[in-house]
Amino acid sequence: MIRDALLQRPGLRLALAVAWLVVLLLAGWLIAARLEFSGDLRRFLPDARTPEQKLLIDELGEGPGSRLLLLAVSGDAPEVLAEQSQALHAALASDDRFTVVANGADTDLSAFPAELLPYRYLLTPSFDEMPLDADALRDAFDARLQDLGSPAAGLVEPLLPSDPTLETLVLAEGWAPAAAPQRLFDVWFDRAGERALLLVETRAAGFDPTGQLDAVDTIRGAFDAARGDSAATLQMTGPGAFSVDIGGRTQREAQRIGLADTIGLVILLLLAYRSWKMPLLGALPLASAGIAGLGAVALLFPGGVHGITIAFGFTLIGVVQDYPIHFFSHQRAGLSPWKNVRGLWPALSTGVIATCIAYATFLFSGVDGLRQLAVFTVAALAVAALVTRYLLPGLVDPAPPDIADSPRLQRLWHRIEALPRPKWSLAVLAAASVAAIAFAPGPTWQNDLSKLTPVDADAMALDTELRAELGAPDVRYVLVAQGTAPDAVLAATSALRPALDARVADGRLDGYDMAARYLPDADVQRARQAALPDTPTLRALLDEVLVDSPFLPEAFAPFLADVELARTAPPLTLTDLHGSPLASAVSGLLLVHPDRATALVSLSGLDDPADLVALAAQTQAPGAELRLLDMKDASESLVIEYRGRVLAAMALALVLLVATVWIALRQPRRVWRVLLPTLLTLLVIVAVLRLAGVELTLFHLVALILAAGLGLDYALFFEHAGDDRADQIRTLHAIIVCSLMTLLVFSLLALSSIPVLRAIGSTVALGVVCNFVLSLLVARHRAAIDAARAEPEPVA
Amino acid sequence: MPPPVAARGREVDADWILHRLTRPPPQSTPFLELRLSATLRRPLVVSGEYRRPDADTLVREVRVPYAETTTIRDGEAVVARAGRSPRTASLARVPELAALQGSFGALLSGDRTLLETHYAIEADGVPADWTMTLTPRDARTATRIAAVVLRGRDDELRCIETRPKQGDPQPTLLGGAASGAGELASLDDALRACRDVPR
Repeated sequence: MIRDALLQRPGLRLALAVAWLVVLLLAGWLIAARLEFSGDLRRFLPDARTPEQKLLIDELGEGPGSRLLLLAVSGDAPEVLAEQSQALHAALASDDRFTVVANGADTDLSAFPAELLPYRYLLTPSFDEMPLDADALRDAFDARLQDLGSPAAGLVEPLLPSDPTLETLVLAEGWAPAAAPQRLFDVWFDRAGERALLLVETRAAGFDPTGQLDAVDTIRGAFDAARGDSAATLQMTGPGAFSVDIGGRTQREAQRIGLADTIGLVILLLLAYRSWKMPLLGALPLASAGIAGLGAVALLFPGGVHGITIAFGFTLIGVVQDYPIHFFSHQRAGLSPWKNVRGLWPALSTGVIATCIAYATFLFSGVDGLRQLAVFTVAALAVAALVTRYLLPGLVDPAPPDIADSPRLQRLWHRIEALPRPKWSLAVLAAASVAAIAFAPGPTWQNDLSKLTPVDADAMALDTELRAELGAPDVRYVLVAQGTAPDAVLAATSALRPALDARVADGRLDGYDMAARYLPDADVQRARQAALPDTPTLRALLDEVLVDSPFLPEAFAPFLADVELARTAPPLTLTDLHGSPLASAVSGLLLVHPDRATALVSLSGLDDPADLVALAAQTQAPGAELRLLDMKDASESLVIEYRGRVLAAMALALVLLVATVWIALRQPRRVWRVLLPTLLTLLVIVAVLRLAGVELTLFHLVALILAAGLGLDYALFFEHAGDDRADQIRTLHAIIVCSLMTLLVFSLLALSSIPVLRAIGSTVALGVVCNFVLSLLVARHRAAIDAARAEPEPVA
Repeated sequence: MPPPVAARGREVDADWILHRLTRPPPQSTPFLELRLSATLRRPLVVSGEYRRPDADTLVREVRVPYAETTTIRDGEAVVARAGRSPRTASLARVPELAALQGSFGALLSGDRTLLETHYAIEADGVPADWTMTLTPRDARTATRIAAVVLRGRDDELRCIETRPKQGDPQPTLLGGAASGAGELASLDDALRACRDVPR
């Protein structure tokens, strides 16, 4: 009843299509509100296995250097830039999203909690060589008298009663970065004095693009406020700034390409079917698929859907755009749309089920992001197939002109049919492809993921320059001490200091930083306590030293009290530092867990990593394990492991795909005709990429899966068309439209300047061409070809 | 250009003072300073010599009660003490030193424009007993120093009184005021020696 009503009332059909669209928009809006996006790349990585991988993933989020942003403010008078640097510092330092904000302004000890100040005698190395005795005090008081007589007396005088040796200043100087840039107007400037420099450490990990974007935007906002009317500009480099920049560029380019695609697809559908309704109806299954996929992941992964899942997912489900096309191309007067779709269903459902089973293998990959991808694509493909089968027939115009009547298509078909059917040439093609894959020069795989998101040369040069000016740590290497107790790892890194200092002195290293610089281990602190004089001794010392001096011994009671407190207090720990300016510096370099602790030594300007590997191996470190961590190596080993899992899943997927097609088609000849073009295409794609010198990445692999899915569909439909000439022409039309659409989308991506998009685009575009040609030549029935050859070519 | 003379009455203005004080380097003048601290038994009296060997350099040489030479040049102060290696400090970190150089140096070179970039200038008095008050323009210096008051007689700068934002004023006696000062037992003595001009 409903079907009859729909067949007779075009207005009702259109209204229902529009209603469907409205429902989709509503569902999309609802899901978007529920969907938790996670930017954390770690969810897309496999579980860490080696100690290096564990350190990389669990502890560091890419290491101390990766959370650093290097800022340069230029384009105005130095004093104006200095003011802006101070304003920027003030705005960011109070912001929770940044753990360190440094611009060179004095290390302000007034921010150091008063109750921790006596601990300076446990933190300072001043009395390690020479004890706090009469000579040391006499020396200090001589110097203090001169300080009092100097124009800077006002700075020193308030400190004198409690700190005659000025240990607070000794510590402040010691804590300043080793290779600090020059100061102009109180803040860091580059050597030329033209750029004010700042160093910012984000709380968000380098792995977290969302957090980095937020940090970069916050800094830009704060600078705009600090700048006012000045012409000054802000430059920002560092891993976070780069990823934000590339993310933005990728998105803008993808959007531009997406717009071009949409216009192209609408024009293509209008030309192919000469009906303005087709673009709307053709978009409905794809939109439904996207919404279904998003809904499924939102439901099954409440912890957050990864942005990459969405991006990859929408790429992979592009194949569903083909489903309505097949249906439209076969619709004609006299054929009920329901009957039409039932006729296509065996081929369509075989393709969908085979692809779904292939994607389902990702569920067992052990990688969260890939599991999400599997859920997304399986849900999307299934829904697209079902709506094409059960909803779309009610909405299409039941009696469009028969495509098979088009003289142009008939001629085209005839010419194609006249082509020789390849046999041995395919074997040659396969052998050549295998040979090309095996013998193409250059590495097969690209393990360095950063190559896929290259930073442009100017930004890289600026980064190198700022890194050198600021003495910022290397992103790649870090020395690591791992152990069970914080003190053991602190002591282990501390033991490296003489060797590291020697390397800084002879230029093999520009500088280093470690938590032990700020917080000595408990043994060192206890040794310093043991060396401090008790109150009666110190009082006697003071009396002796000051007997003939201008200073009053009684004035130094606060000094006696501080030393006594330092001598008897329990050693300072990381927890005690909480809330002090030192906490952020130390917490980035000392990671403490209930059962283990890790101390990091950040390095800048390292010339010879092998030298430090040897140093780490030689250094005695009881209770701790020292090693030089190569972040690049560790992340590349993760990529290799990741790829292994994807390849294993793909191999399994291939077997399941073959099995599904076998079960559906049953006859070996039919199975062969369908699978040959698909499998051969995979070989040809890889061979062409390898011959072109492309190093394969994960993105190529994912794109290969899509190419295989497309090829399977083309072959299934060609094979399904059987021996009927009109049906062959309709199928030819459908597959031409499908492949032109896919080719348009992916060749635009292949032309992109961004390697990730280029990898996906080139792989799929190659796949479409190859699949189309091979399916056409291989998948059709023999009898149809013979019949066509016997027939004369139709005349227009 | 003829020297601006305090023709109208006996009032002086900044140009008159600057013109009188201007001298080409090299030049030198004795100084005497007094410092107070709760940690000291009695006020610390420091004496020595300020020198301007060339237009861009100011040297503060302490002779009594210890030997110390501070050389201020190019925004840096190098402090050399007997038996220690010299230390270098940026003037930006010690506004007191910067103020000293900015006032003293610019004053002796007669560079009113330079002086006015750092300070608001106010002159007062008669040729035989004038004061010039310099108020720092730089916000950071102003947090530490309220004003630098220069006192003099005719072409002689006799005293620089630095008034910190908090605490007592610090007088630096110069030239005749330094050499003519007797025993300075208290800040009051020193301020009197700074402010009172012998007739």
